Amino acid sequence: MSKQILIIDSNKDHAEALKTYIERQQYEVIIAITFDEAWHQLAYLSWDIILADPFLSEDMAACLDSAKKKNPLVQIIIFAQKDKLDAAMDFFESSAIHYLEIPVNSKALDLALIAACKNISLNIKINKYSETLSDLHKAQDLLNKLFEEVPCYISVQDRNFRITASNKLFKQHFGNQIGEFCFEIYKHRTSQCNDCPVAETFEDGKSHSTEEIVTSKFGKQYNVLTRTAPIRNEKGEITQVMEMSTNITEIRQLQDHLVSLGLMLGSMSHGVKGMLTALDGGIYQLETGLSKKDDDRVFKASGQIKQTADKIKKMVLEILFYAKSRELHYKEVNVADLVENVVSTIRSIAKKNKIKLDISIPNNLGKIEVDVNWMEATLVNLLENAVDASVYDRDKKNHCVKFHVSKTSDNQIHFIIKDNGIGMDLETKNKMFTLFFTSKGSQGTGLGLFIAHRVIKYHGGTVDVESEQGKGSQFNIYLPSQKPENLKIDEFPRVIL
Amino acid sequence: MKKKILVIDDDLNIRDYLVSLFNDNGYDAYVAGDVKEGFNVAKKNKPDLITLDIELPGEWGPRFYRQLSQDPELKNIPVIVISGLSGHQYAVVNAVASFTKPFDRDELLKIVKETLI
Repeated sequence: MSKQILIIDSNKDHAEALKTYIERQQYEVIIAITFDEAWHQLAYLSWDIILADPFLSEDMAACLDSAKKKNPLVQIIIFAQKDKLDAAMDFFESSAIHYLEIPVNSKALDLALIAACKNISLNIKINKYSETLSDLHKAQDLLNKLFEEVPCYISVQDRNFRITASNKLFKQHFGNQIGEFCFEIYKHRTSQCNDCPVAETFEDGKSHSTEEIVTSKFGKQYNVLTRTAPIRNEKGEITQVMEMSTNITEIRQLQDHLVSLGLMLGSMSHGVKGMLTALDGGIYQLETGLSKKDDDRVFKASGQIKQTADKIKKMVLEILFYAKSRELHYKEVNVADLVENVVSTIRSIAKKNKIKLDISIPNNLGKIEVDVNWMEATLVNLLENAVDASVYDRDKKNHCVKFHVSKTSDNQIHFIIKDNGIGMDLETKNKMFTLFFTSKGSQGTGLGLFIAHRVIKYHGGTVDVESEQGKGSQFNIYLPSQKPENLKIDEFPRVIL
Repeated sequence: MKKKILVIDDDLNIRDYLVSLFNDNGYDAYVAGDVKEGFNVAKKNKPDLITLDIELPGEWGPRFYRQLSQDPELKNIPVIVISGLSGHQYAVVNAVASFTKPFDRDELLKIVKETLI
């Protein structure tokens, strides 16, 4: 398309002459002779080149200025009488590209027009480039934002497994460790991991995935699902590998919990069946006892039913505890009150089994911060075990369960639970806190001591056990009187088998 | 003369239940809480039928059955398995019947009666 030129000149003949000359060189030309005409043309049309006599009107400068603003690409060429040329130059300075003297030299005009055309095409190119550049910037910004905000840990690694870039989440959990080794950051290792998916991707250029357990800068462990992708240079060579890890810790925990729950229900169904049978038995004895008017049988039946109901209740509570890992609800209570409840429960059990109790609860025990329900259940469980161990022992005639509580320091309470029952062999002693381990056959669930141990542990306490087969066992439980501040977990974590 | 049944189970309440059930239905009943005791009682009283639990303290029910079937005096005594374990019917292959706890009382009595004719 030919360039469009506006000639602004008060001298009509001069203008016409210029027009005729310029049109010969394939430009489209319009002439404006008055300021109004010029203003009108500039306001409503867009021009490539303006050839102007600046002294047409006083407002000419402002008029050209606004035209330039409206279309920065417009090229202005000024022509003037020799004596006014200097003034024109002072006025327009570099906003005009050429200053021609009247009478206009045709060669000078040609050159000025060619220069103007060159300028225009150059400017158009520059505009295009800068547009592309800003688009590119925008695209890069967007990609960068995406990279940063992806809800996965992303790192880019070189052949030595050094991290060259990472996204926001990665930095949050693993630190801003550009240049460090991946295995160091993720796993606190000093050498490359086995079966590294990044190494495999460097090898074959394909995407690989693994499941890993990584450790954050705060020491927390996460299960992550890791996928890799190669990053190639212009020649198609793999220079880096991107690793994207999705945190699936919660899913895994849930899965583990479900697995162990299933395992528990499986292992306990036997016990449950036994209890239900015993319940059937109790009911049968009760019914037949009533119809035969056999008081002894009725009496015995009611005892059996009660005992079985208690067992079922205990087991259900244990299952509920296990199925629902709940938080500890700390409350400050008098140690004496806590212990009193425990003692009253165990007294009836001991009496029924004809086991003597040796209880020592001094007055100076003070207060303790615990989850009352769980701590009571724990102490009762340990004492019940002591009673059971005595009942099972047929070698000794007299059995005694000792329950001594003392304050060993300002912030520690010591519970001793001791029996002279059957004691434990080494295997039982080693395994007693293990989930589902029981030495009581179908009478035990394998949950009691497991839970007791956890409760003590999550109160910041410790338990140690001395036991000799045939002689008896002693449990020493040490509990802090205040809720431990620095204990990381105040919630029962789900069991990971 | 009354037929004799030996009940082998480690749960006292269940033993009591079975003994009452058998006594009420015209049988004499003996009890044992584990394999060793069970074998001794069987030797001594020569029962006509044995009910056997699978999971017992120490040695398990199938072990008792093997010992029983190797004893010329006792090997023909019929055994009924009563257990809480699933899949126990394969544990004692030649058992007359297998019951899963909690068992149906009438069904058990029916089988016992049929076996002891």
